[in-house]
Amino acid sequence: MTRTISLGLRGALWLVMSACIWGAFFYAWSDPAFVGQSSRILFFHVPMAWTSFVAFFAAAVWAGRYLWGGRQMRHDRAAATAVECGVLFGVLATITGSLWARIEWGAYWNWDPRQTSIVVVLLFYGAYLALRSAMADREVRARISSVYALIALVVTPFFYFIVPRITESLHPEPVLNAERTLDVDPRMFQVLLASALAYTVLFFWLHNLRARSQALIDALEDDPS
Amino acid sequence: MELGGLGWIFTVNLIIWTGLFIFLLRIERRIAGLEAGGKGR
Repeated sequence: MTRTISLGLRGALWLVMSACIWGAFFYAWSDPAFVGQSSRILFFHVPMAWTSFVAFFAAAVWAGRYLWGGRQMRHDRAAATAVECGVLFGVLATITGSLWARIEWGAYWNWDPRQTSIVVVLLFYGAYLALRSAMADREVRARISSVYALIALVVTPFFYFIVPRITESLHPEPVLNAERTLDVDPRMFQVLLASALAYTVLFFWLHNLRARSQALIDALEDDPS
Repeated sequence: MELGGLGWIFTVNLIIWTGLFIFLLRIERRIAGLEAGGKGR
């Protein structure tokens, strides 16, 4: 029964994501303010960036649960895995953004405030992963990296949501702009919302698989026999 | 179908997504096998 529900949920994810891909090319219109069809990258780039934020936020929640929830290693594992997934989605958002920048601005990299802020965030979490790999003791590693992930929660929203709204940038206005209004075509918004949802679910699935495989690796290290 | 057209890009995207989806399902089955004490497949 559980297996049937589980497979059904995964099937639903395949359907929604496939519908989003179809919607991105055939349902939503191409914004004439941008070169050719380049605005369609919005339906992939923005959900990837959004999902990376969700992942970093989730990492902080799991880190908090580790520190104040009985110091269980599964929470630390979940936090570290969320950061890995967040970095993955952040890198994908950066790549898709650079491809768009090449078409729209003529260069892959322009040190635009948006580009710079995502690099700072990725470096911040890259340091988290480096810090973890530098510590052999699991308890110490879990404690220090949990504190780091919580501090990062203060830094991350600043770079994701505040910097783009207080700096002059070539980057298009956020969908929810500084005037707190939605400045987007309804069809584009529908596809964007569905895509963000599908990417978020995909993140939780990837996270689940990675955390479970890490738990198996840890169990093997504890008992090699 | 025009090479590089919207239909072509849509098809390539769908193939990549479906491939990733099947890959993840296979990994999940393998992890479940290992968790159950087997060797997985």
